[in-house]
Amino acid sequence: MTAAGSPAGSAAWGSTAAVPSIELEVVSFAYPDGTRALSDVGLRIEAGESVAIVGQNGSGKSTLVRHLNGLLRPTAGRVLLDGRDVRRIHVARLAGLVGLAFQNPDRQLFASRVSAEVAFGPRNLGIRGPELDERVQAALADTGLGAEAATNPYDLGYSRRKLLALASVLAMRTPILVLDEPTTGQDARGVARVRDVVARAAGEGRTVIAISHDMRFVAESFRRVVVMREGRVVLAGAPDVVFGEAAWPELGAAYLEPPLAAVAGARLGLGATPTESAFVTAVGRRRGGATAGGAGAE
Amino acid sequence: MSAGLVLAGVSYRYAGALGAALAAVDLRLEPGRVVGVAGANESGKSTLCLVVAGLAPSVIGGRLDGSVRIDGVETAATRPHELAQRCGLLFQNASTQLSNTTATVLEEVAFGPCNLGLPAAEVVERVWWALRAVGIEPLAPRDPARLSGGQGQLVALASVLALRPSYLVLDEPTSELDPAGTRLVAEALARIAGETGAGILLVEHKTEVLAHIADDVVVLERGTVALSGPAAEVLADPRLVELGVEPPAQVRLERAVRAAGLEWSAALAEAIE
Amino acid sequence: MPDFARRIPVGRYRGLHPVTKAILAMVGAIVALGVRGWTGPAVVLAAVVLSGALAGVLRRMALFALATIPLVVSILLVNTFLYPNARDAIVTVGPLSPTWTGATAALQATMRVVAFGMSAAVFALTTPIDDLLTELERRGLGRRGAFVVGSALGAIPRMVERAREVVDAQRARGLDTEGGPWRRFKGLVPLLGPVILGALGEVEERTMALEARAFTAPGRRTLLRRLPDSRRQQLARWLLLLGSICLVVVSLSGVVKLP
Repeated sequence: MTAAGSPAGSAAWGSTAAVPSIELEVVSFAYPDGTRALSDVGLRIEAGESVAIVGQNGSGKSTLVRHLNGLLRPTAGRVLLDGRDVRRIHVARLAGLVGLAFQNPDRQLFASRVSAEVAFGPRNLGIRGPELDERVQAALADTGLGAEAATNPYDLGYSRRKLLALASVLAMRTPILVLDEPTTGQDARGVARVRDVVARAAGEGRTVIAISHDMRFVAESFRRVVVMREGRVVLAGAPDVVFGEAAWPELGAAYLEPPLAAVAGARLGLGATPTESAFVTAVGRRRGGATAGGAGAE
Repeated sequence: MSAGLVLAGVSYRYAGALGAALAAVDLRLEPGRVVGVAGANESGKSTLCLVVAGLAPSVIGGRLDGSVRIDGVETAATRPHELAQRCGLLFQNASTQLSNTTATVLEEVAFGPCNLGLPAAEVVERVWWALRAVGIEPLAPRDPARLSGGQGQLVALASVLALRPSYLVLDEPTSELDPAGTRLVAEALARIAGETGAGILLVEHKTEVLAHIADDVVVLERGTVALSGPAAEVLADPRLVELGVEPPAQVRLERAVRAAGLEWSAALAEAIE
Repeated sequence: MPDFARRIPVGRYRGLHPVTKAILAMVGAIVALGVRGWTGPAVVLAAVVLSGALAGVLRRMALFALATIPLVVSILLVNTFLYPNARDAIVTVGPLSPTWTGATAALQATMRVVAFGMSAAVFALTTPIDDLLTELERRGLGRRGAFVVGSALGAIPRMVERAREVVDAQRARGLDTEGGPWRRFKGLVPLLGPVILGALGEVEERTMALEARAFTAPGRRTLLRRLPDSRRQQLARWLLLLGSICLVVVSLSGVVKLP
């Protein structure tokens, strides 16, 4: 399912069977009024990777992801899909390859029924008839909105409107999926749904990229974490590395904190434990080594 | 006249709605204490905020049964501008709360006291007091439209404080903020409760924040109070998850360790502090 | 009250009280449009250029003048070619015969329009709306009126920003914002919908936020800022206003003929 086996450039664009790699090649971006939002950002995301982008507000995360689907064009550097510059590709066409779910659902909801809202995206991509219906149903089922297909979007609470915005991007079945703060404002069930959606997309071999403030969600659902500060990538790697003790000073400089599991694990000398299950496993391993009945070293 | 913000048997239905958004809610908010409110989305948390602050039903209509008293006075018998001086209300989105008609943070925070027609000298004094209480004096000359999310929320907080309410109600003030902004707001609230003696009702999804600053926690489910008690107790209650609330990380870690059949030791407890 | 909040403007023209500047603009409009002959518009133009120079906004006023060009061109054409009952043709080309009378009338009409526009422009470019609203409120404009105008203007950049985000969000869903007129028309609903719905949805929260800040309290609102005024300016305002009206009446009645 991943493009790992296919030679670069041979996969047909617009075909969801082959997931392209996406890369920012030394990208800088400055707004018309001169504010520098990105400085020399180099980031390559291979097909099927799950990457989380973290950083303080204003560090350039949103600006970065808007380069991935062509909403913004770099003022220096290039954005490459499978090695080819996307400069000449229309945003409307890129939308079929890179789906972006925005943070604020109210910036896009306009239809009078949930199902029509979800159908909007795939319809723009030329999908019609039974395939359109199937996609809408599947997206609604994935986000738990199956029973609300005929409801007016504004009759849903904020949490479910956010899930609706997510569903409308899911229905486009893009090989690359980008989520801007999917868990902000969500209750526990909403967060669980988002986690499931991410896991399912990653399982299908799609590339998933998310901006998030929720370090636990990041540690548990993503294989790679990219830390941004003032328009630059200052740290990148697996959660083990990024939330490991050695990286804490850099994290602190970016006004971020590692998840509690990582902190607790470091305090107990258990090694890298970015997720709660890793922490539990490490505690179990440590206990397994101690003699029965003896005072534990932890 | 007893101090405290008290809800007794409160039910509320929005105008034109079929069901009740709140049913038979009892709640007590004491001066100087922070009460956290958690619950799944659409469990009535926002409605509770509007009812406690008196905006429902007096500004938005709907039907209220039961009594809401602020320091002994029924909110139903109080005019909105007087309510504003007893109980301040803050929403999630800082930019909709700012008046957008002022050029400096100082004038923005002065908006409320100016509305009351207070003498200019008193207005200015209250503004500096509020800015100090929230810890944002350096922001006074800044343009309110050009602040970060966290700063905007702090300005909104100062603006409401400038009316010197005895109680503050905040509806998910940190939901749009990054971790640094969340910390700023949480610490400002704890400080305000301690220093000014205001009673604070805080609706939050981030239970870590409640664990940090709340004295008591109430969990709503479909408009009724499902759990209520001291923060440490409620946040460790096993029923939280089925009520749609994510327990704080400390509670989750302990539970996960125990669930794996491992013993929870003092060293572990210390490590998650 | 610190200075950064007082924001008292400086300058010979800018430092005038906002109501004085407003009256000057009004007087300029009255004289430019109402006084017969060339003198009216000429005097106003001269005054406007002088105030603009004092306030340092001449360049921006020039840009504004450029914006009036389409209107000016149409006035020139209509009057030069179609002036009723004019016989003194400049040249005759087929059915077209521009006339001197027409051209003269056109020039005068143009001068009036430009003088009027520039008069308003110099006022708008040198007077923050907040200054004027504060002083009007001090003189009896209710708090609601002042707030409605002030917040409507503040809402514009916000709406523009929101519209931009909506366009981005819909383009990200494959909406084609280029292409033929029919395509663009179909794109209107998904673009306008969220902007309007979002703005309407905000109304309730904004109303509640205003109530929560005691906006509906009775009585006069405290106004922290006070802009300097003087008896001389107050007198001048009345004199200029009355004087300009008299001038118009006098010139229309034909008692005094001005060039």
